[in-house]
Amino acid sequence: MKDENIHKKIDEAMHSLDNIKKASPRPFLFTRLEARMQKEKNIWEKLASYAARPVIALACICIIIMMNAVVIFSTNNSKNSLVQQNTELAAADEYSQVTTTLYDFENIKP
Amino acid sequence: MIETELIALLKQKDRAAFKEIVDTSQDMVHNTALGILQNAEDAEDVTQEVFIQVFESVASFKEESKFSTWLYRITVSKAMDHIRKKKRKKRFAFIQSLYGKNDESVIEPPDFFHPGISMENKENAAVLFKAMSRLPPNQKTAFALNKIEGLSYVEIGEVMNLSVSAVDALLHRAKGNLKKMLKDYYTIVNSK
Repeated sequence: MKDENIHKKIDEAMHSLDNIKKASPRPFLFTRLEARMQKEKNIWEKLASYAARPVIALACICIIIMMNAVVIFSTNNSKNSLVQQNTELAAADEYSQVTTTLYDFENIKP
Repeated sequence: MIETELIALLKQKDRAAFKEIVDTSQDMVHNTALGILQNAEDAEDVTQEVFIQVFESVASFKEESKFSTWLYRITVSKAMDHIRKKKRKKRFAFIQSLYGKNDESVIEPPDFFHPGISMENKENAAVLFKAMSRLPPNQKTAFALNKIEGLSYVEIGEVMNLSVSAVDALLHRAKGNLKKMLKDYYTIVNSK
């Protein structure tokens, strides 16, 4: 009896949307839509005018120049250190400062 | 005015054409969004987002499918985005409440009553909507398009980019899951 009742309730719930009518939005949707579009447009316009202010533009240019300078100096430094490393190795080679191991003597063939 | 003419005018950003499109298809968009989101305010928000998207990206509409199918696609995708956004907010609020930054508890949404349902079906429909909200997104979308918008399997397939047999399988699974959830619910209610 209980099961029958449950199945009946399930069927009723499953068919509860059968004659559903379409829901409409609140009136004057287009007016609200236009207002929202205008507001969003204004936000972008405000952002664009803010970014176009001389102080902001100058600050952006300074940051870009600084970033470029940092990159240039850091690559120069790494180049210098590489050259120095190579010179040290060449000198060590020249004066046989490189340590040899037993393995080097035993494996003469390349 | 014929739909193709309206679309051509909308591509030129004609305000009158946009107004006519909004006026003729607002119920369709709102009803679909409401069926998926089950909240009137969220549905209104998504409806507006859909029409803004239509206005901004109508140039990309190639007219290979029906305009209504394109509108349904945008509506479904915006509604799904809205659900994801809400879930993210909910999770963030929960984390904040754990750290004591937000004293409000995470509140379960109240029962949803669709305005297009007759009085005698209101209670049953509210239970069904509650179960629907727990369905996986694809099943929920297919079920809402079929039951609330009255779309055929072919039309649902066009909207969701699925074959008719895939839609059939999706709806079969959705109905099976709903029946299971309803059975659990009514068993608990009956035992009280």
